[in-house]
Amino acid sequence: MKSTFRQSMAWLHTWTGLLPGWVLFVIFLFGTSAYYQQEISRWMRPEIATGAVTPRALDAADAVLRERGAGAGSWTLSLPDGRGGDAFTVSWAKPGDRRGDGAEVLLDSRTGAQVEPRDTRGGFFLYRMHFDLHYMPVMWARYLVSIAALAMLVAIVSGVVTHKKIFADFFMLRFGKGQRSWLDAHNVTAVLALPFLTMITYTGLVTLLFTLMPWAISASFPSQEAYYAAAFPTGPEASVTGDPAPMMPLKDLFARAAEARPGFRASFVTVNNPGDAGATLAIYPQVDAFGGPRGPVNISPVTGQLLAVPPIPGAATLTQSTMIDLHAGRFSGWELRALYFMSGVFGTVMVATGLVLWTVKRRARLPDPARPHFGFWLAERLNVGVIAGTPAGIAAYFLANRLLPLQLEHRADWEINWLFIVWGGLLAWGMARPARRAWIEGLASCAVLFALVPVVNALTTSRGLIASLVNGDTLFVVFDLTMLALAAVFAFASWRVLTRRAQPAPRRKSRESSEAFA
Amino acid sequence: MIHVFTLALCLAGFGLLLMAMGRHQQDWLRRKLPAATTRKMRRGGFALLALAFFACGSGLGWAYGTLAWCGWLTVSALAAVTANTNRERIQRLKAKP
Repeated sequence: MKSTFRQSMAWLHTWTGLLPGWVLFVIFLFGTSAYYQQEISRWMRPEIATGAVTPRALDAADAVLRERGAGAGSWTLSLPDGRGGDAFTVSWAKPGDRRGDGAEVLLDSRTGAQVEPRDTRGGFFLYRMHFDLHYMPVMWARYLVSIAALAMLVAIVSGVVTHKKIFADFFMLRFGKGQRSWLDAHNVTAVLALPFLTMITYTGLVTLLFTLMPWAISASFPSQEAYYAAAFPTGPEASVTGDPAPMMPLKDLFARAAEARPGFRASFVTVNNPGDAGATLAIYPQVDAFGGPRGPVNISPVTGQLLAVPPIPGAATLTQSTMIDLHAGRFSGWELRALYFMSGVFGTVMVATGLVLWTVKRRARLPDPARPHFGFWLAERLNVGVIAGTPAGIAAYFLANRLLPLQLEHRADWEINWLFIVWGGLLAWGMARPARRAWIEGLASCAVLFALVPVVNALTTSRGLIASLVNGDTLFVVFDLTMLALAAVFAFASWRVLTRRAQPAPRRKSRESSEAFA
Repeated sequence: MIHVFTLALCLAGFGLLLMAMGRHQQDWLRRKLPAATTRKMRRGGFALLALAFFACGSGLGWAYGTLAWCGWLTVSALAAVTANTNRERIQRLKAKP
């Protein structure tokens, strides 16, 4: 044990921050981008119109299902919200088939005309990546993410103790002073966004509640399924009577749901045994209301009779769903969404500066800086490969979306593969090159790749920056400008490493160095 | 509009809090202000932040408002830090006629 409380907290902060640090950087980076997952999807699916589903499109979906889905065991409709990015998807499956095994048609959410957007997972992949990672079983990933998030919570609390001068130094951010500057940047990003960081880490753990604490369920229920059936009932089971009976128009059934639940807007609809007298229909609400209902409204599609409305959730369930809402921020208007995104950037920068600080502090103390011990070498190279490599991978993901041939088999998978090819390439590059050169080249690669995104977009679609400006297409303008801004940030960072003086400025006062724990 | 109002209050609040710290008074004004003035500035700064909370909460709903307030606190604190980091540049700009 370390001798004083603050020293032991400093030790705890260093190791709970460093060891899961690279995973935390990935979680923060992808999670932050996920606040704009719908907008990213809109950019990545330029073929699709934006907007909530119109009555006209709903009628078109109804017609498609009645004509092509006749005799199917189930129908499903997935309705995009007003933020867009996804097509209005209708699908049907034969009796006995699992959901997703049948045929699927994508419709324009405004006109109801059939559309064929490019095969991509869009912003949704970035969102999933932040807790499911990739190329590994989902449960492993979630355990890894859970452990990293637990460590993050420990690092936040121990960090407030360790960097005890964060409040005295609240407004201090001094550049060009080596280690002192990294410490300042780490402190400022952490303290300024402290409410957000604490909230996002804690609520993030709550989203993975039953991964971490399965006993809460196993103590009272025979299985996870039994718990979910009790806590989130999906409504009465459909029965096959064998008597054919015509279904009411979907539009009218939606109106019934809106009567049962004022303000109800549908997000996902299932119809079981359509065309049979025992058919049932479940309409799930959009999830963009803060602490709003999640369960479906069940209606008989034959008679239009209300079969079940989900019970009002208990206090514990409501607390959990409110915390998940707080984490995902789906209810946010554009101002709050921008604040969420900015706070996420703060978290990402805090993790990155913390990781760099660990190496900067120790480099000065190495017996032979040219030949560091393995642990130091690994940490330094992982820093380059993750901090410069991951953003470069995301830029490559956007580029692949525009450059891969539309007919390519498994196109969506290849977009993702390109993300990891570029990221892995930079990771390997970072291992092979001297550290300083690796930083310069890694950051410069990010700058080039992000700068290429608007260029390639202009060359491969009719919605380049200038065309979008002329057409008043705000989303495409903002997206391209964001890419250029990111390119500028990475170019500046690369240039700063390139022109950095070899020695950091001498420390001014002993007061400053004495608390330089990290 | 509530967002702009909240931001303005937070900016003023953090401005006062910045100037209520002795080291920053020394940097910006080349002298330390009397203890009584400093105390008033600090209290005023916190009062403005609290006022921003009530404005934001009553305007946007308490749940949504609290979140937005936290975000605007971060933005305005960042503005104060940026100003402080670029103090010499700002003072040079002001010194020019």
